[in-house]
Amino acid sequence: MGRLRQKGKAGAAKAYITRSMAVKKLQCSLADFRRLCILKGIFPREPRSRKKANKGSSAPTSFYYTKDIAYIAHEPVLKKLREHKAFAKRLARALGRGEWSSAKSLEDNKPVYRLDHIIKERYPTFVDAVRDIDDALCMIFLFASLPSTSRVPASLVENCSRLAAEWQLYVMHTHALRKVFLSIKGVYYQAEVMDQTVTWLVPYQFTQNIPADVDVRVMLTFLELYQTLLGFVFFKLYTDAGLVYPPPLDAKKEEAAAGVGAYDLQESSREPVAAATKSTAVEVDGKKVSGKNVRQAIKALAATASSDPDDTNMVVDDETTQPQDAEEDFIPQPSTSHPEEAASLPTLRTLSSLPQSTSSTLLSSFVFFLSRETSRPIFEFLVRSFGGRIGWPASSGGGSPFEEDDESITHVIIDRPLIERPRETDEERERRRRRKFVQPQWVVDSINAGKPLPEEPYTQGKPLPPHLSPFGDRAGAYDPSAATGVDNTMVQAESDGSEVDGEEEDGDEDAEDETEEHKAALAAGDDSATRAAELAAEAAGVDYGTFEKQVAKSQKKAKETRVADVPDADESMNKMMMSNKQRKLYDKLKYTERKRAAENAKLEERKKALQKAKRKQEKAG
Amino acid sequence: MPVPSSSKKRKQTAAQETDSSDADELPQVGLDMLSDEEAEEDGLPHSDEEQVDEFPEIDAASDSEEDSDALEAEEDEDEEDEDEEDEEDGSGSGSSSEGDLHIFPRAKTIISDITGQEKKVYPDIEPDYDSDSSTEDAPNRVGNIPMHWYDDLPHVGYSIDGKKVLKPARGDELDKFLQTVEDPTAWTSAFDKNTQMDKPLTSEELDIIRRLQAHENPDAAYNPYEPTVEWFTGKGKEEIMPLSSAPEPKRRWVPSKWEKQKVMKIVRAIRQGRILPSKPKTTSAQQQFYAIWNEEPSAHAPPLPAPKPRLPTHAESYNPPEEYLPTDEERKAWEDTEKEDRERDYLPQKYGSLRLVPAYGQFIQQRFGRQLDLYLAPRIQRPKLNIDPDSLVPKLPSPNSLRPFPSYRSLRFSHTKGRVRSISVSPDGAWVVSADEQGIVSLWEVIIGREVKRWTMGEKVGAVEWCPRTDVSFFVVATEEMLHFLIPPNLPHAVLTATQLLLAPPTLPPALPVPSPVKWTNSSAISSEKPILSVELPKSSGVPKQIAWHRKGDYFATVSNAEGQGGVWIHQMSRRHSQAPFRKVKGSVQLVLFHPSKPQFFVATQRYVRLYNLAEQKLLKTLMPGIRWISSMDVHPSGDHLIVGGYDRKLCWFDLELSEKPYKIMRYHSRAIRSLQFHPTYPLFASSSDDGSIQVFHARVYNDLMTDPLIVPLKILRGHEVQEGLGVLQVKWVPKQPWLVSAGADSNVLVWCH
Repeated sequence: MGRLRQKGKAGAAKAYITRSMAVKKLQCSLADFRRLCILKGIFPREPRSRKKANKGSSAPTSFYYTKDIAYIAHEPVLKKLREHKAFAKRLARALGRGEWSSAKSLEDNKPVYRLDHIIKERYPTFVDAVRDIDDALCMIFLFASLPSTSRVPASLVENCSRLAAEWQLYVMHTHALRKVFLSIKGVYYQAEVMDQTVTWLVPYQFTQNIPADVDVRVMLTFLELYQTLLGFVFFKLYTDAGLVYPPPLDAKKEEAAAGVGAYDLQESSREPVAAATKSTAVEVDGKKVSGKNVRQAIKALAATASSDPDDTNMVVDDETTQPQDAEEDFIPQPSTSHPEEAASLPTLRTLSSLPQSTSSTLLSSFVFFLSRETSRPIFEFLVRSFGGRIGWPASSGGGSPFEEDDESITHVIIDRPLIERPRETDEERERRRRRKFVQPQWVVDSINAGKPLPEEPYTQGKPLPPHLSPFGDRAGAYDPSAATGVDNTMVQAESDGSEVDGEEEDGDEDAEDETEEHKAALAAGDDSATRAAELAAEAAGVDYGTFEKQVAKSQKKAKETRVADVPDADESMNKMMMSNKQRKLYDKLKYTERKRAAENAKLEERKKALQKAKRKQEKAG
Repeated sequence: MPVPSSSKKRKQTAAQETDSSDADELPQVGLDMLSDEEAEEDGLPHSDEEQVDEFPEIDAASDSEEDSDALEAEEDEDEEDEDEEDEEDGSGSGSSSEGDLHIFPRAKTIISDITGQEKKVYPDIEPDYDSDSSTEDAPNRVGNIPMHWYDDLPHVGYSIDGKKVLKPARGDELDKFLQTVEDPTAWTSAFDKNTQMDKPLTSEELDIIRRLQAHENPDAAYNPYEPTVEWFTGKGKEEIMPLSSAPEPKRRWVPSKWEKQKVMKIVRAIRQGRILPSKPKTTSAQQQFYAIWNEEPSAHAPPLPAPKPRLPTHAESYNPPEEYLPTDEERKAWEDTEKEDRERDYLPQKYGSLRLVPAYGQFIQQRFGRQLDLYLAPRIQRPKLNIDPDSLVPKLPSPNSLRPFPSYRSLRFSHTKGRVRSISVSPDGAWVVSADEQGIVSLWEVIIGREVKRWTMGEKVGAVEWCPRTDVSFFVVATEEMLHFLIPPNLPHAVLTATQLLLAPPTLPPALPVPSPVKWTNSSAISSEKPILSVELPKSSGVPKQIAWHRKGDYFATVSNAEGQGGVWIHQMSRRHSQAPFRKVKGSVQLVLFHPSKPQFFVATQRYVRLYNLAEQKLLKTLMPGIRWISSMDVHPSGDHLIVGGYDRKLCWFDLELSEKPYKIMRYHSRAIRSLQFHPTYPLFASSSDDGSIQVFHARVYNDLMTDPLIVPLKILRGHEVQEGLGVLQVKWVPKQPWLVSAGADSNVLVWCH
């Protein structure tokens, strides 16, 4: 006889721990436990049998792995949280006694936890981290656009906006952006970094307020983690790209609302200089120091001299990196000696960079100018990450590289209805003629299509073609773009048939159609019946041509149904022989299949109806 | 000399109080003997004496008691002794100072001649025998012994000279009482064992008793509030001399050089700005980033990344294709559903241009929801099932390749009214006899449906069944407690005579010695109108619901709902004898069947099917179909397979060679299964149900044991109407043809042909 097994000493009862037990074990408050779970990425688990895991009770609780909890128990952050609790007590006591100086020194020595080790632990490799920055980016971009309140301090918002700008700068610099989608929720961007697709959502530029039903503490805890994570990720990305991190902020440009342009991207070869400038910039901030002024003056001079009033550093970078990229594309040196070998052996790198190089220079031949009602942060980011140049009016913020009357401008992104301009000078008219006025969707659709689309359907004031998601839908879902062609022909055929009767009869004809069709279907079987039906139709006053058509149609339909029916009946009988388990699975699969098919059919039908209505309208109008 | 005088005085008082004869000696006795050594020495000989004397009444336990008593007595005496001394001294000084009791004589304070200081002078103690009472002779020298030893003797002990000390005269109880009354000091006197007389207590002793009663310290001289005497502390008693004579070290007054150096180091660092005094440690901690991923990653597998949210589809576009826009009903339905139940968290909307797109109201809520998912939702990894559902359907041969089977209705035979409960097809496959609940039994042709004859039984018919013999032709109709044997009309002469000979033999077989409750009676006239033979079942056995013939046609079994014996009767035609095979049956018997080739008998109760060997009369097997209520059963012509149908829609296929559990369970009818039958020659079987349908199966059974039987559903025959929840009540195959005859609750009998 083996050893007696005691209940609750092994298996699920030991492997799982309920939340309240975990809190008790860690001897911390529930809020602290929550914070730890968020920071350490520990989440509840679903035991196979809740009853076994909860020692026979089936009360609704959430379970954690006991090992996870044992693992948190040694967490330095937990220690710091306990210290913080003691600190809070001390501080409260000092304040209560009016010991201001000791309170101040306590406050100065407040225990603060660091998350470096957690980042390293959760993301052992850099790729792990990049794979998981989607949520972090979404949060950073959201908080960058929030107004600062008592719960959301200004420094936090500032840090978030800095991180957001750093990410955008990096994406622009490496031309990593792949897809953009303007949705009702915001703008979805998808970039490819380290061979990982990173998708993030940026809300439209409106002031958002944190609603009351949202727990800000949870969001701030997540944000704490995300800020640290993004800091380390950006550091690695920037240093790998040979850039200085953090990119120094130009305070003056920032004041002029230059947005992303306020940051200088600097090559790390110029690191000492950058460090020096940074230190001076820090000191200078509010005051006026001659050294910096001199430097800026020189910079400005250089910018005007190159007749390229773009964000100078950025342009320099672009110019320096792009030729390098171009060179790299042609670099396969062995190709000169062994051309066929090189052709047969493309390296992974060249393979990955091939589509990238084509798409990254998509807009490089265009010069855009933003109309003032369009969103500058979105389009500046888009255009510059695809190699284009862009300017904007002063009302959209400072730092525009060129003015509206620049001759090089090829496209104007404009989002307002067309209006008559009676008092237009010749020069202006000439300029209007040379430029193309497109709606913002053109840029996005071109990026998603991977080629510049014709501007014609997107010109100012025209109703836009639908904007489709570049991410597509699941396989087998209704595809609005593909369906159009087929439907058109079908609708065409249908309308051909119905045109004989005339459009206005359509409504009441339907009912009549059905009865006749029914008859015809019945008749489809044999000749005598057909003859009888023909007679009946004649008596009803239907002319022969339409009757023939109906017969043909009903015959076809009958054949279809028969063909469909026979295997169906077979299958339904064969289903008798399925085991219960298989039948349940089959039913489940069939249910979803049917549901999806119904959805697709609904959409297709609706589309057909819409097209029909449109044609009718055209005919009428 | 004060001491002798006091003792003398006491002696005088004692002498006054006690008898004059022993007065001088007796008080001394108790006081004298009590030095410890003496007591021990006295005690030991006593115990020896005890042993020597061997008092028969006293056992060892009492010995020890005695001893302990003795010891206590000794102790008492000790105390007494001290008391005596006290008393003695007290009395000594008592004369000079009343109440103040002192052991020692008072000291006199005189001025010394030599020093000129005051000094105390104590009186000299004269070391003669009289000076201490302990040295006084006690007249009785027996020591500390139990004095009851002397109870029967005239004396109480011996003096030092060995002379008897006589007992003092003691009066009787009345005298004692009178004495206590007369003598005013009687209550302050105590009985002295040694002298066997009362002895008055001294005033000191009385004082001690009073103090003890008052819970005071018994020592009158004890002063609990004595003033403290400062021996070692206080002024003028301080320690003056140092412990070590070493000189004071220099470090006690010279400032430290090393401390100075350390301080200077800090001061220099502060001056140079290396140390910021009172630097706020935490607020300045702007996160410093560094290359965290430069070191080797740990060997631990990274935690699974959180699942990414679903990417947006076309419907989420600010300018979607118009077909995605919801209709008013859809919008309303979306708004009416709970937030958690919605299929998607937004309603598609269309804006003419980008500048018209407003802020998304639920943005922060949805980010928050995502975060809640990240840290509050349990995650489960589920393998994605990417299979074609049609691949789950078993691949079976097409029914077309398994022809012939009945596929269409060839004719209908209608009873006027009443459900057709039972039908039977003649063994040559030409005739059908059908019986309805009204008691009408019709005989008609299978091919054309012409009714040849009709019998009216007048009561409910439970079952009809043809005899399977081909040389004779008759069928049995079961009504209330009766079995009627009917001969169809228009039989060939040879068959008719054989049948008549069988059913109404001219010479009856000899009756068995055991009388049977079942009576076989022939009708008087032989005609086709009336039953030629009737079998009367015992009373209250009800309508037999089933008749099962043995394949040879000599035996048949009937099942009715009767209590006890299971209502099962086996009848033998040749011997015109009936017997109940079971003495007692567990559960109510639903159906019985004869095995087609072996002497075996299937009995289906409500839940189980039991297989009995009739020759050996024992149970072979109990099959457990797992059906709640068995409705029908049939055995394959090969005898190795059995199908069982139940009212809970299940059909079980048993391979009798294999297990007691079904080989296959099928559930395809939507209502209860009513009837099942295997075709006797074709590989077919059919089941009928209350849903009004008949399901025809192809059931091929292989001879080798390795191949499983092949069951293919062939055809669903619909044609009966469901009336009052009852559909097709019985199906029967036409022998030698793949035709099916079915009887329904709609009083129709249908023939299905291929």
